Amino acid sequence: MYKSNNALKATAIALLLSGCATQSPTLSSGNVEYGDSKAVETLTNEFGSTDLQTIAESMANSLLQSPALFEKKRPLVTVAEVKNKTSEYIDTKSITDSIRTKIVKSGMVRFAVDTSAIQTQVDELTRQNQTGLYKKSKSKKMGNMEGADFRIEGTITSIVKRAGDVKDVYYKFSLQLVDNESGTMEWADEKEIRKTSNKSMF
Amino acid sequence: MPLFTRPTSLALPVLLTIILSGCSVMRSYDNELKQTVDLVGQGQIDQALTQHEANNTGGDFDLLYYLEKGELLRLKSQYKDSAGAWLLADQKVNEWENEAKVRAGAILENVGAVLLNDKTRRYDGHDYEKVMLSTRLALDHLSAGDWNAARTEIKKTHEREAIIAEINAKDTEALEKESKEKGITTTFKDLNGYPVETLNSAEVTTLKNGYQSAFSHYLAGFVYEALNEQGLASPGYRQAIELQPNIKILEDGLATLESRPSLRKPNETDVLFVVESGAAPALSSVTIPVPVIVSNLGVIPISFPVLHSDPSHTLQPSTVGIDGKDTLPLAGVTSLDTMSKRALRDDMPGIIVRGILRASAKAMSQKVLMDQGGGAAIAGIALNIANVITESADERTWRTLPATISIARMTMPSGKHDVTIGSSKQAIDIQGSHAIVVTRLLGNQVYWSQPVFGPQMPVYTVPSAIEPAENIDGSAIKKSPAKSKKKKAKKPVQQAQG
Repeated sequence: MYKSNNALKATAIALLLSGCATQSPTLSSGNVEYGDSKAVETLTNEFGSTDLQTIAESMANSLLQSPALFEKKRPLVTVAEVKNKTSEYIDTKSITDSIRTKIVKSGMVRFAVDTSAIQTQVDELTRQNQTGLYKKSKSKKMGNMEGADFRIEGTITSIVKRAGDVKDVYYKFSLQLVDNESGTMEWADEKEIRKTSNKSMF
Repeated sequence: MPLFTRPTSLALPVLLTIILSGCSVMRSYDNELKQTVDLVGQGQIDQALTQHEANNTGGDFDLLYYLEKGELLRLKSQYKDSAGAWLLADQKVNEWENEAKVRAGAILENVGAVLLNDKTRRYDGHDYEKVMLSTRLALDHLSAGDWNAARTEIKKTHEREAIIAEINAKDTEALEKESKEKGITTTFKDLNGYPVETLNSAEVTTLKNGYQSAFSHYLAGFVYEALNEQGLASPGYRQAIELQPNIKILEDGLATLESRPSLRKPNETDVLFVVESGAAPALSSVTIPVPVIVSNLGVIPISFPVLHSDPSHTLQPSTVGIDGKDTLPLAGVTSLDTMSKRALRDDMPGIIVRGILRASAKAMSQKVLMDQGGGAAIAGIALNIANVITESADERTWRTLPATISIARMTMPSGKHDVTIGSSKQAIDIQGSHAIVVTRLLGNQVYWSQPVFGPQMPVYTVPSAIEPAENIDGSAIKKSPAKSKKKKAKKPVQQAQG
């Protein structure tokens, strides 16, 4: 009897809570709406969200097939620079972040902090070891960082051509996996994207 | 176009619009700002600010008010107040962007400007001013030490340039169509008496457009590089080169991008010297008789804007001296003077079409009233007088912007340095991995900025006071004597690995 009472109360609370969740008020001016973040974007022929997602998906899938990653259990990888050789402000770190997220989710690979985050890593270790705020026995020690087995690096290039009202943009994103100790390239792949626009499309 | 089908219906709106918009029609922005710029050139910034406020009363301030105010506050080294004024200007540009995306191609849809003159249009800013607003906001944030806020503004610059390019393409297309329909073929080269050479020089015509500046993109490259985002820094430097080819400092920005971080020592700072000179050109009105083919109205006087280069006549320095020993050459990378001329050159087709339509509308309504005789004829005479008084080109332009921007760059030991520009010397304390020193020369005045500490790039070195992990944990050593013996044999770790 006691147990069934508790179950009843729990059900009632759950119903109340779920009721509240479905009746959350919406504030809207009528001019803003959420869209599908995966929707194909063709507003202009500059580098866009669809290009980023396509490249990340393609490269992550290809990299996870690389035999080099199976030779060692959960190898340590770091992301080096993807050089932007285009004239467009393409955030290549955002592309490699997406690739890294997909690979990390697979559980096959661990990632070491990359060069852009090394200062934060040094700052954290310095704070724990040098400020006197932390117990020595509980602070993370200097000199224990692990060197990555592999590094991922690459380039993005583009060729832009205009003829009359037509603008054609060709992107090539190349990525490679290099063994840090031997210096050998263990995997490489590239993704090409072509986008053509016509002025009359405006 | 309905303007030519029912001319009598225009008389009342014309007179009403003249009365209602009296202030903006009669205001001479050129005269107002000449005094303000003169005061700045004499070092009287407070008086310039007071004058600026006195010229703008009523509370409903326009874009130009905030643009000029932000610049004056910046010269006073009040970077946060300056950024505050410019962020209000930025809101107005955002409003324009949102509206312009919808109405792009409707370049002639502004009744006030068609009936009276372009002064009655809401001031949306010239395209280069909108872009320069983001760049100068970035400089404000850099001067206040907020590099991430500067990055936000720089990113906004790229997005704004893309919007401007799209809107301009639509407006140009619409204008060509309208001109063709009305049979208007007049270009600025046909305006007899207009100083065509100001808009037709090689430096004006070879610019890629009137709104993208090499300085804005080089600054983008520098800020991204300082924030360790090489992937975004390289297009910044690359676009700067594309906009101003064959300038060594711009080419070096890209060529040595990859090697710079390894060459700079931890106690050195990569310093970008930005020297801004003079004041942006003034706009004045010139009235020129133009043959109007529409409705065979003959020759009608129409007013057009004319640019006058740097009214402050400030000298442009060619070098920056460091500690009395190093002399860095200054490279002129952006001329707001040339950009504004290019912008006016690109705007002239629209100004001409609007001018002809306006003149035709006025002449037609006046003719109809005169033909009716009696009271209508008196109204016609009044309208003629009003037309003569109100026919004036739009003189509004961001006048406190510099005429030219030059840069020099040097990696130097962090700390205090004596920097000399012309006859002015200033002690500047430079810290961090990157710093920007902005100096403005106007009239006989030099306005210096003191950079707040820049970002700190990774140095990959463990502080020397820190002992390696094996020796710090004393308890672990006591518990495991065998291990501690092994550890003692190891050499101390001096560097962390990435």
